[in-house]
Amino acid sequence: MNNLFTPFHRLEKRPIVVVSGLPRSGTSMMMKMLVEGGLPVLTDEIRRADDDNPNGYFELEVVRKLKEGNFAWLHEANGKVVKVISSLLEHLPQQYPYRIIFMERELKEVLASQKKMLNHRGEVPKVNDMELEQQFRQHLSAIKPWLVRQPNIEVLYVNYNALLSRPESFCERIEEFLVSPLNRQKMLSVPTEKLYRNRVE
Amino acid sequence: MKTILLGFDSFDPNIFEEMASQNELPHLQTFLDAGGYSRLDVCSPPQTEVSWTSIATGADPGGHGIFDFVHRDPETYMPYVSILPMRKNALGEQFIPPYSAKTFFEEAAELGYPATALWWPAMFPARPEIPVMTLPGLGTPDIRGQLGVGVLFSTEVEDKEKTKVVRLERAGKGRFKALLPGPQVQGRDGPVEATLPISIDTLDADAARVTIGNQQLQLRPGEWSEIIELRFKVGMLFTAHAITRVILTQLNGIVRLYTLPLQIHPLHSIWHYSSSGSFAKNLWKDVGPYLTLGWPQDTTGLEEGCINDNQFLDLCYLIFERRKQIFFHLMKDFHEGVLGGIFDCLDRVQHMFFRDKPEVARDWYRHLDQFVGEVQEKTSSWNGKHRFLVLSDHGFRPFVHKVHLNRWLLAHGYLALKDGTASGDLSNVDWNNTKAYAVGLNSIYLNVAGREGQGIVEADSVEDLLTDIKEQLSAWKDAGGNLVVHKVRMKHEIYSGPYIRFGPDLLVGYASGYRASAETGLGKIPEKMLEPNHDHWGADHCMDAEIVPGVIFANRDLRDFGNISFRDIPFLAIGKHLDQSHLKPPSQMNLQGQEKLEEQLKGLGYL
Repeated sequence: MNNLFTPFHRLEKRPIVVVSGLPRSGTSMMMKMLVEGGLPVLTDEIRRADDDNPNGYFELEVVRKLKEGNFAWLHEANGKVVKVISSLLEHLPQQYPYRIIFMERELKEVLASQKKMLNHRGEVPKVNDMELEQQFRQHLSAIKPWLVRQPNIEVLYVNYNALLSRPESFCERIEEFLVSPLNRQKMLSVPTEKLYRNRVE
Repeated sequence: MKTILLGFDSFDPNIFEEMASQNELPHLQTFLDAGGYSRLDVCSPPQTEVSWTSIATGADPGGHGIFDFVHRDPETYMPYVSILPMRKNALGEQFIPPYSAKTFFEEAAELGYPATALWWPAMFPARPEIPVMTLPGLGTPDIRGQLGVGVLFSTEVEDKEKTKVVRLERAGKGRFKALLPGPQVQGRDGPVEATLPISIDTLDADAARVTIGNQQLQLRPGEWSEIIELRFKVGMLFTAHAITRVILTQLNGIVRLYTLPLQIHPLHSIWHYSSSGSFAKNLWKDVGPYLTLGWPQDTTGLEEGCINDNQFLDLCYLIFERRKQIFFHLMKDFHEGVLGGIFDCLDRVQHMFFRDKPEVARDWYRHLDQFVGEVQEKTSSWNGKHRFLVLSDHGFRPFVHKVHLNRWLLAHGYLALKDGTASGDLSNVDWNNTKAYAVGLNSIYLNVAGREGQGIVEADSVEDLLTDIKEQLSAWKDAGGNLVVHKVRMKHEIYSGPYIRFGPDLLVGYASGYRASAETGLGKIPEKMLEPNHDHWGADHCMDAEIVPGVIFANRDLRDFGNISFRDIPFLAIGKHLDQSHLKPPSQMNLQGQEKLEEQLKGLGYL
């Protein structure tokens, strides 16, 4: 349905593909899937694969500077895929068209995974779990209505948990959403149960 | 861009949700099932002309300047109809467009798409400089330049408050004569009324021949005539054209004939009726004659007993059917752009039947659902490559109590009358001792020094006075202990934009069941504060915007939008916001929480 309502402003440039969501919601896995699918990726590999993300992070350091207005790198981003966590989406400049694949995952799993990652990094959580969960919920309930009102943005929401159980149908939807042929066979090799380590029953 | 928009004036979400739960509205239910339905936050005050203008512009009244059906001249305190403003110039008095804010129709046209707005309120007079095709809605005057009342011809002596009554004179066996009053013209001794002779010849107990000017009709009692074209000779060289429908309501000893208000003839309008001029003319020729008055469903005729319930409903149906035909005619050649039309019969029907004959109102929900089904069928070959929106400007509630707001202001010491006066209108107000007054259906103005003609409230006391009135009004309860007012809002709390200074200082959002009296609308001060409403006009929407939300249906999933408001409609219609001031980024919605999130994200190495 999304494609039927492509924003009406005439898009002269190919959209920038953005993978987004909360940290630890499956954004790196989706990046890897798109890379396998054949999309060129914007990453500097500064942050290397580790125990938390064995396939790599696919991050671009300069994305963190979006808030400060560092946009120059976006001139070369059309048609490429870049990872931008959800709290930075509002800083994406309006003059570019974006297609965002927004990863959603059970919040308790996200928080559990984040906690583990903080431990690995030697950081001490500064906010208690309950409060953090509430803040993330508020963040998500604010970001969706904002995203849907942006004329230069289209969003496909992908549920991490559902993606692991039905990857074929999601690959098809992603291909449709990006209006770009992808190597689905290679994409399907990415989402494996091995990556699904922080489960909340 | 290919957008179809149907505006269903006063389509109420409570009634829709209840009827949908009983599968009574199958076509609209398809939107609901697909996630394409939501209640719509409408602007304050939830009045038809304010709300549709806010929807078209995505702006609140501070951005377009229409705050209430009635505004006032601050210098003289005189009320006037906000959607029919006039300006004096060398040619005399001319109608001017009620607002100039950009609509999404205009934006679409500027982007190079065809744009058509049908029966949209406050679009009279047409603005030929803007490449939007328009037929105007609410606010379109009759040929006298007024909102329009009909004429009742009767063999009996009758007295009506608003309707003009003309006595039918017997002119032979079964023959009656009178003069139909037409437009006013300047005579040697002042203005005189142009007239047309009218005669009724009884043919039998169930039929009569009615002749008006050179038009001859054969009518049966209770049936509306076709739309007839009349020509009034005004002076040596000039002819005024008008259209109307007539109905013979009685032919049994007593003879009664009623004519709708004389309306602008689209082929011969002296004002800019439509844009382009040929648009209205082509529709008249291609589809057939149509009524042009802004409020053609004659509620006044029904309220005053000139026509009965069935005759009123028949008239509504005729209007609705012709508008549908026009809409479908335009759909045939609609390949891109935006085509929107307001269908307002439901509003009129609900005003008259919502309280006492709710099933009549519900029938109209079914008519509208059927209409949606017909549009869905006609668009099925478009392969879904279009936007289809159905929305309303507000909902509806019973109107149980009339509120005489100026009496409340008087009783609480904010308004004073001249010595020896116990009631009256604004001409009876002692302005030297008056701090606040009400004009319009939801508006209170302070009597501000330097702004009002005889203002006494100094700038430094405005805020305190507003707070006082707001607090007292919010605590007002009727004899049964029910709150009369749901919310009082100061204009700067809810409005933004260049016109805010022209707006009322306080917006009174009445509780469900309460509405400003018609007298309050005109600034009058009757003797009571509250009065039970026993009028035929038994339901309304000029309460608080939260009490009467509207609806929106769309052939796209609306679930991610959260609360959808009138400000979102331009974006939903043409994919572009006309005003972005309401789009707060998520980080600005909960700053305290944002800091905590950032702490966490920094710890994770993402910031």
